[in-house]
Amino acid sequence: MLGTLLALLNAAVESSRETVGAAGRLVDGRGIDADQVGLHLLAGFSVFLLVLPVLVALIVSTKQTGIVTSVGDLVPGTAGAANYRRALLELGFWRFMVNSFVMSVIIVVGKLLISLLAALVIVYYRFPYKNAVFLFVLFTLLLPVPVRFVPLYRLVVEMGWNNSFLAITVPYLASATTVFILRQHFLSIPASLVEAAKLDGVGPLEFLRSVLVPMSRGILVGVSVIMFVYAWNQYLWPLVVIDTEGQQVAQVGLNLLRGQASSGEVAWSMVMAGSVLTLIPPLALLVLFRRPLLETFTIQQK
Amino acid sequence: MATREVFTDRLQAGALLLPTMLVSVVFLYYPTLRAVVLSLYSASFAREDVFVGPENYARLLASPEYFTSAAISVAFAAAIVVGVMLVALYVTFLVHEIDYGRSVYLISAVWPYALPPAVAGLVFLFLVHPTIGIVTTYVEAAGLEVNWFSDGPQAFLVVLVAAIWKQVGYNVIFMTAAMNNVPASLTETAKLDGVSRTKRLFRVYVPMMSPTLVFLVVINTIYGFFGTFAFVDLMTKGGPAGATNVLIYDLWRTAFQFYDFGLASAKSVVLFVVVGILMYVQFRISDRYTFYGG
Repeated sequence: MLGTLLALLNAAVESSRETVGAAGRLVDGRGIDADQVGLHLLAGFSVFLLVLPVLVALIVSTKQTGIVTSVGDLVPGTAGAANYRRALLELGFWRFMVNSFVMSVIIVVGKLLISLLAALVIVYYRFPYKNAVFLFVLFTLLLPVPVRFVPLYRLVVEMGWNNSFLAITVPYLASATTVFILRQHFLSIPASLVEAAKLDGVGPLEFLRSVLVPMSRGILVGVSVIMFVYAWNQYLWPLVVIDTEGQQVAQVGLNLLRGQASSGEVAWSMVMAGSVLTLIPPLALLVLFRRPLLETFTIQQK
Repeated sequence: MATREVFTDRLQAGALLLPTMLVSVVFLYYPTLRAVVLSLYSASFAREDVFVGPENYARLLASPEYFTSAAISVAFAAAIVVGVMLVALYVTFLVHEIDYGRSVYLISAVWPYALPPAVAGLVFLFLVHPTIGIVTTYVEAAGLEVNWFSDGPQAFLVVLVAAIWKQVGYNVIFMTAAMNNVPASLTETAKLDGVSRTKRLFRVYVPMMSPTLVFLVVINTIYGFFGTFAFVDLMTKGGPAGATNVLIYDLWRTAFQFYDFGLASAKSVVLFVVVGILMYVQFRISDRYTFYGG
């Protein structure tokens, strides 16, 4: 686990070729640029503080006991492999991870599919009340889970969906954000393309598949990462609607881990191992796809 | 513009829109309407709902605990907005001013965007553990007395810091984009005129970034109200003595610990009004500022 994380960090560092020049630039020419050195120190210290809690979690997850009362205790332990194995296998955390993964993938794929269709219609079809339809979709931004989870819970129970993947995926599938981002992107694609496609007798779905999707790759990747992070980090709704342990997701499973692991200091090594495991998937996606992700965010705001 | 609308088959359009509309109606609009209706009923498990009119709202208005909870939520959201945005603005500006190696710092500042709230809450819980937490040791060594989870303001502070930590990355993403959009000509002139760095930040960048900053104030307020459930649930359970009992946690407890679905629905309606007002403010203000828009 540690290795994977370090490899990711390394990849992030290596991929940015700017740094290669950095060391040289700071000292070349008229000597050290004191102003820039100061900025590097301040920025380095700030991001170090942002990372520090996770480093502590990482270290604790490798120790036999969770005791870290001073900087002197921040020496990685030797129980890492044993801790992660225990958390994943003996305490069953692998189930929660698999459940979270399945839930997030279903949500991402489902949202992308149905939002692509909706955005296609909203941009490339002419029909009455189009703006009303678009507003109807956008208005769902006003209806986050917290304002409707009580009736939603009753509805899902009535449908017999509680404790199933249906309950933690289907209610998330409609996505105003995704439709909006895709619409903005489609509007930036020249209209001449669709006119040409129409003249050639290309149908809407074929146009979507062979023109729009290939031209939206970056956006689709960015939206997928946003939606994966969103789905993976859900806590309240799974807590409400899932009450069999085998179906629970990682976020809520962390708390079960806290209860299951024998009490006392040792439990913290387990909880931190679980926390690191839960952090890895969204963090890995963020690091791997940072460029399309950041580009997609700039569209969202417009 | 209009030339994009080349397809006209209405049946087809309807079919393609159907999945999004169906999920929206069944799982978003219908439950919201049902919350409004249910707020007029006395409802719980395993018995018929009984119509009681506005009684649930009367109970809310007569409940000092609910007003305390609302006040705590507002204070919490306000502290989140100020805390997150100051930290994020500071980090964004530092990284922006660096000439080489910017992208490495950027990704190191943006990553908490991916941080699950449950993880952030548990890690902080460990850092401030009364006997084995590293933060507790050093704060106590500095001569301060800590009772993180029995002293109201201290518990509030711990939850707040954890929640701020998680939200910094998201803000840095948008602030960086906004800062990069400020025309270089403006900042170069200021630099040549010898305007200090801090002044440049607050006199040039911040005003030019105002549409983004307004957007972030609204997003962070919504996060402060609704995104903090996991932190409270894992760290304090709303305690001590209600000091961290934010509205969303209070709502969950009413519904799933006291099984008072009618009262919980009334509380949902109140939250719905809060989101509505926030969104409205955002649309109005961002309309007025689009002049700067990038």
